[in-house]
Amino acid sequence: MQLSHIRQLLKKFALVILFLIAFVMMLLNKTDTVLIDKTSSVATDIVSPVVDVLILPARLLANAYDYLKDLSLAHKQNQFLKAENRRLRLVSERARSLEIENRLLAKLLNYTRPDEENLVTARVVAEEGDAFSHSLIAYTGKNSTAQKGQIVLTDKGVVGRLDKVGQLYSKILMITDINSRIPVMIENTRVRGILAGDNELNPKLVFTPISADIKEGDRIVTSGVAGVFPAGLPIGVVSHVSKREIRVLPFADLNKVEYVKIVSFPLDEESNLSEAGVVEVRDE
Amino acid sequence: MNEDWDETLKLTLQKMLPLLTSFIWVALSYMPFDFLLPTNIHANVAVVCVYYWILHRPDVFNLFSVFWVGLFEDILTSAPLGSSIFQLLLLYVLIGYMVKYFNGKSFELLWLGFLPLAFVVMFARWFVVSIYYATFLPFPLLMFSFLLTAAVYPLVTLINVWVQNKLMIDEG
Repeated sequence: MQLSHIRQLLKKFALVILFLIAFVMMLLNKTDTVLIDKTSSVATDIVSPVVDVLILPARLLANAYDYLKDLSLAHKQNQFLKAENRRLRLVSERARSLEIENRLLAKLLNYTRPDEENLVTARVVAEEGDAFSHSLIAYTGKNSTAQKGQIVLTDKGVVGRLDKVGQLYSKILMITDINSRIPVMIENTRVRGILAGDNELNPKLVFTPISADIKEGDRIVTSGVAGVFPAGLPIGVVSHVSKREIRVLPFADLNKVEYVKIVSFPLDEESNLSEAGVVEVRDE
Repeated sequence: MNEDWDETLKLTLQKMLPLLTSFIWVALSYMPFDFLLPTNIHANVAVVCVYYWILHRPDVFNLFSVFWVGLFEDILTSAPLGSSIFQLLLLYVLIGYMVKYFNGKSFELLWLGFLPLAFVVMFARWFVVSIYYATFLPFPLLMFSFLLTAAVYPLVTLINVWVQNKLMIDEG
């Protein structure tokens, strides 16, 4: 009798209870508890295989389209690549001699080199980007030494960093996401700042000195502050400078990310993340 | 005995079809179809699915189904957990008020009726998430998403109609 009464009450207030659950979830998410983090990672692991299976026909379709598109441009691209190859061969020779010179000088000065990074390649399973968030799900997890906070690249530049890491799948927070903060610097002037996403197409450059001379076309790279990310990873170019804001156009084509490289850089646990400002905006 | 078991399984699956179809639609909407559309424009198919199934099969797609679809979408994205659930629950409430006007209406009128509802719930989510981050999220992206959602409505509805007519048995 009592059980049926409780059931009736629950039915009556189900809508209110579910609304409350939604708001409690948002509040818990805001506090970024370990519980939410772990639950979210497990949930990503459960949900992602569904997307991974569904992706197969879509991937085939996309590949067929790309193949046909490439075919029509093959001759022009071939000419371009031949010219680029000649140019790159010269650059490669020059880089090799500079590397040798650099090693000799480093030895002479007794310079301690930073730890070398390892790269893990992962396939992108799902991607989302709208007014609310910008992220990717990639087929890589704790099984392949992925860790929260590691930086993610394509062949052109930085895409984001690992946010939720499950056993098999991980969520990547893109540099355009509102929660993304990455310590960066202007390549030629070494002026430091933070690259902050705001769910717009091009992220903002913030916390730069007022006196800094930042111009459109300046290259932005990771600064390597606090040793969280390796320094010098390409991010993009300054695309817009005004009194109000500085915008950066990413090198990586964030609309077309099929495979990513995850930089496995030796981290000193979570403390380093907050030190470098690589924390989610809600923690600030 | 076995036949009874088969029958029960079949019935259960039938009842779950709207929910499963919605899950598949939501998963499909997050696939990297880069060759068709830029990544930053995303159709909110969860809204289309909830609108369709609540209007056409409220007997098998109830409040809890709405919650599960919202949770599924929240897990897939990096948006604040619970924001999609909120959006879809709000749609459920609004449909509850409007259902008497939608009954027996043509596809075109239902499509037309969907537009203000979709806009209101998407805007409400945008507003709540903006408060969450204490900053206004890019409104043009929301508008593009709304327009794309309106554009994919016929396709999603067409497939849902097919699922309802071909795969589900009307118990009534």
